[in-house]
Amino acid sequence: MSSSQQPNLRLERFKAVARNQNSILLSVLIALAIIFTLAEPLFFSVPTAGNILTDWGSIVLLAAGQTLVIISGGIDLSVGGTLAISGVASAWMMSVVLGFDTTTSGPDAYPPLMIGAITAAATGILVGLVNGFLITKLRIVPFVATLSTMGATLGFAIIISNGMPIGGPNDFSIISPINPNWMPLSWAVIGVIIIVTIVGLFLHKSRFGLHTYAVGSNSFAARAAGINVERHLTKVYALAGGLAGLAGFYVYLRLGAGSPTSGTMRELDAIAAVVIGGASLMGGVGRMLGTVIGALILFTVQSGLIMAGVAPDWKKVVVAVLIAAAVAAQTLRRENRQR
Amino acid sequence: MNYFKKAAALAGVAALALSVTGCAAAEEAPTTPSAGETTAVVEELTIAFVVGAESDPFFQAMKLGAEEEAAALGVNLIWQGDPTNYSPETQIPIVDAVLAQQPDGLVLIPTDPTALQASVTKAVAAGIAVANVDTRVGDLADVLTFITGDNEDGGAKAAAAIANAINYTAGESYQVVLGLTSATATTNVARKEGFEKAIATDYPGIEIVDVAYSESNPEKAASNVNNWLTKYPDLDGIFAIDGTNASGAAAALEAKGLVGKVALVGYDAYPDNVAKIKAGIFTALIAQDPAAEARLAIQTLVAFLSDGTLPASAEVVIPNVILDANTSEADLAKYTYVAN
Repeated sequence: MSSSQQPNLRLERFKAVARNQNSILLSVLIALAIIFTLAEPLFFSVPTAGNILTDWGSIVLLAAGQTLVIISGGIDLSVGGTLAISGVASAWMMSVVLGFDTTTSGPDAYPPLMIGAITAAATGILVGLVNGFLITKLRIVPFVATLSTMGATLGFAIIISNGMPIGGPNDFSIISPINPNWMPLSWAVIGVIIIVTIVGLFLHKSRFGLHTYAVGSNSFAARAAGINVERHLTKVYALAGGLAGLAGFYVYLRLGAGSPTSGTMRELDAIAAVVIGGASLMGGVGRMLGTVIGALILFTVQSGLIMAGVAPDWKKVVVAVLIAAAVAAQTLRRENRQR
Repeated sequence: MNYFKKAAALAGVAALALSVTGCAAAEEAPTTPSAGETTAVVEELTIAFVVGAESDPFFQAMKLGAEEEAAALGVNLIWQGDPTNYSPETQIPIVDAVLAQQPDGLVLIPTDPTALQASVTKAVAAGIAVANVDTRVGDLADVLTFITGDNEDGGAKAAAAIANAINYTAGESYQVVLGLTSATATTNVARKEGFEKAIATDYPGIEIVDVAYSESNPEKAASNVNNWLTKYPDLDGIFAIDGTNASGAAAALEAKGLVGKVALVGYDAYPDNVAKIKAGIFTALIAQDPAAEARLAIQTLVAFLSDGTLPASAEVVIPNVILDANTSEADLAKYTYVAN
């Protein structure tokens, strides 16, 4: 890791590693699927795939934003809180301001839901902008800045909702698999896939993405190369916030309510997905596809352990071992390459 | 920021309490006013309430009951608690700050039976009468009264509600699952025990096939139920042990189109969930009555402080109630958790 290397050379090399990383991750995913199927044949089924994808939808939105932040050399602990406050704000807008209650269902719910989605995304972007301000203007390190917005967002979510879920209009068919027998995707999950694909293209194919890697690899060099680092970081946190806001709306669709506790500990799931996916917390390294598969692995394990009848107390241990193994494998691979 | 606000609020309340009560009341408060002493003018009493996580709907409902009762009895009420953390680390300094205001009585909801014991001793040494509500300290010797909801009985009621909903017949076998928040939350443990005992004695055909934790996150609760519905296609019933699990389980049944096909009994009367009883999503909800607990605590303290009356029984258990399709509108409204 000598800092005298050209950023572009490093970038190319890490891209090659990351490509391999994805094939390793896919093998892990397949191996897990085989193990769980052996333990419980019902695991290998469309309904199970539907369960896993439904869980995956909210976390992959958080993790996609987190991927950008981590590549830029930062961390965003506030995404769970942002999810909660966005879901609550969205529910509050639909039920308290617009006056639609839980009896509004089916296609009648679409107009308020559109407004709810916009409210959630706007709330998320606002939190992201606050993060950007704290980090770039007040010079607070990302860990501390986003730790404080995490507390503030969770607190506000409780204040708005009085600690209880706010029910509102919903159409549960949006979040249910399109066909329980052969199509595990729901319309909401298809929407998530489209959004994450766009963000992934943005990261890997646009100048915005290139700058994100550059800032995360070496912010001094990036500044010297003429990148406005502060403005770029603010955009990154705002985008991550917006994605967390959409995750909040996704969870609203899932519950038919905005719940102030729906973001609890979710930031850690998002970070776990990114880390399993091969991004480095040192910045400058990471691929969107890795994050996408990383999140899929997390929920395959979660569903698999329930299906296999493993006692719930063991689940955390298994996930912990998995994260440690994923990171250790990456470190070892990187060291081997450098020899 | 939070602490500054809290400190400022405390200082404000303290100043108010002192000016209203007058220093005389604070000096007069010590321990037992001799029984039978007739006070022509009852000094305005100050009663402090220190709860767990203030934002919890349960405590919000309790606050409403306390405020009503305090107003009715002309008692000055101090209401304190950490906004979100249910933990002794945050509660002990709050109790200390409240004791410094020298209230006549303290209603404490200890977040830990051992860690808060010293706070009770300290309060009683300062001549402040102490009541415990909902949870208790380990040693009740210094505590005037302990008022709680009966969680074990609530669990048993949930078992009966599920048995009723699935038309339990002896000799048949049934599968149910249990959605918990964590392995250690005391209310979870008591409800689970009550549920298990009732099944063992009254409904031996019911088998608890699985349990899972939601970690206070309704989306995780929904995810657990999704997986169960796939693993146990013949699942008969779900006992969702708290408000969070209830919300998640209800959403999962709606999304899978299984409303009415799987019996769902939840806990805690969140307004959003109470509305789902009518929609047939919940077979029943077990509700606690935090407002009644608060009212009784204030009544007991006021009786003791004004003429030394001791409560008829030191430990009072307020039964949990069952809310279902047959519950009257008035009762539904009465038990639904409301916040101000």
